[in-house]
Amino acid sequence: MDFTTQLTVLAATASGSDEGVFAALGIDWKMLIGQALAFLVLVWILGKFVYPKFVNIIDERQEKIDASVKAAENAEQNAEIAQAEVAELLKEARKEAKDIVATAKNEAIALIDSSDEKAKVRADKIVADAQEKLDKDVIAARKALHNDTIDLVAMATEKIIGNVSDAKLDKKIVETAIKEAR
Amino acid sequence: MDSLHFSLIAEPVFSIGSFVVTNAMILGSMSIVTMLAVLFYAANSVGAGKYNRFIGLMQWCIEGFLGQAEEIIGDKKIARKVFPLAITMFFAVIVSYWFKILPGVGSITVGDVPIFRALPADLNFTFALAIIAIIASQVYAVQKHGFFGNVGRFFRNPFKDPIGAFEGILEFVGEFSRLVAMSFRLFGNAFAGEILLLITAILAGAFAVAALPLVMAFELFVGFIQAYVFFVLTLIFTSLALQTHGDHDPSHDHSPADTSKKATAAE
Repeated sequence: MDFTTQLTVLAATASGSDEGVFAALGIDWKMLIGQALAFLVLVWILGKFVYPKFVNIIDERQEKIDASVKAAENAEQNAEIAQAEVAELLKEARKEAKDIVATAKNEAIALIDSSDEKAKVRADKIVADAQEKLDKDVIAARKALHNDTIDLVAMATEKIIGNVSDAKLDKKIVETAIKEAR
Repeated sequence: MDSLHFSLIAEPVFSIGSFVVTNAMILGSMSIVTMLAVLFYAANSVGAGKYNRFIGLMQWCIEGFLGQAEEIIGDKKIARKVFPLAITMFFAVIVSYWFKILPGVGSITVGDVPIFRALPADLNFTFALAIIAIIASQVYAVQKHGFFGNVGRFFRNPFKDPIGAFEGILEFVGEFSRLVAMSFRLFGNAFAGEILLLITAILAGAFAVAALPLVMAFELFVGFIQAYVFFVLTLIFTSLALQTHGDHDPSHDHSPADTSKKATAAE
């Protein structure tokens, strides 16, 4: 049956029964069902033994990619956290340094103040001591002068009056005389 | 020169008992066996971690198709269920289509009958594939919507929702038109391709050596396109069957009463 004849048959049968159209197109239901079943078996075999291998590899790779992306994200996050921590530490360190400098300054001022105070106290003490010693020396000098004066007066009186009275008497007279003289 | 002989149907070459073996079956079996061998080789190589350019290409193809299937279906789980069927259709169609450019197809004859004919140039094969694709989409639809839910996609109460009911009938007819379109498209391309190759060989005469490779390359391209169309259509039909009427915007209503109410409100 050549092509033209077949087309004629097709045209003729198209208006007739359905079976005729299918037959003209070469559709043999038994063959069709057979081929469909064969194809389903093919799908089953390939679906069981072939595609899973490809799909597993694809899934594994996808998992790896996902894991890598996650790891990269984590790393980025960690880096950000670390950076924030470093910034915080730097801030704290700066604050601490500032505090330390301030404290040192205060301490230095306090130290200088206390040194000044101590120096002042010591100077006062030195002055006081000197004053005390001076007073003592003055008293001692006065006493010595007093004694010397008495002796001198006694001697002078003795020379004037002569060796009349004894020493005890002389002394008493002199002292009285001095008191009166004052 | 003999008059050109083209047969619309696959012709019987011999028979084993009552089982008639057609020329499409002979070349089809060869192409399917080759396809199986190539796929098993590729799968085993991938399983063993041995890669070369061809294995890489196969993996790239399958990965791309899987991605596309997931994209079209939307639901990854269902996409993985449909994928083996769709991708096998792709491989079966492309390999059996490409087999027709082999030398000897159409030219080696027993009596008047060529002993090789491309499998997609046999309507039984393309029809079988289309029926499987449509039935598979309906099976997945029944799994999702339930039997009555799926029937409800086609048959609705015309008194409650007249436009919806009409749409359902169109949908029902559409299923059959898809079946016919799918099978005839592939069959038409394959059959026309065979005729084109034969006519080019005869008309070009001595220049056939230069002219045929161009037509063959074109046929390889058409084969790829047809296989790809089959793959994508299988997925799209499944995706359409999985959609529910409620997937649309809920405010969208087919009832003319509602539409007129909305129109009044808009005024």
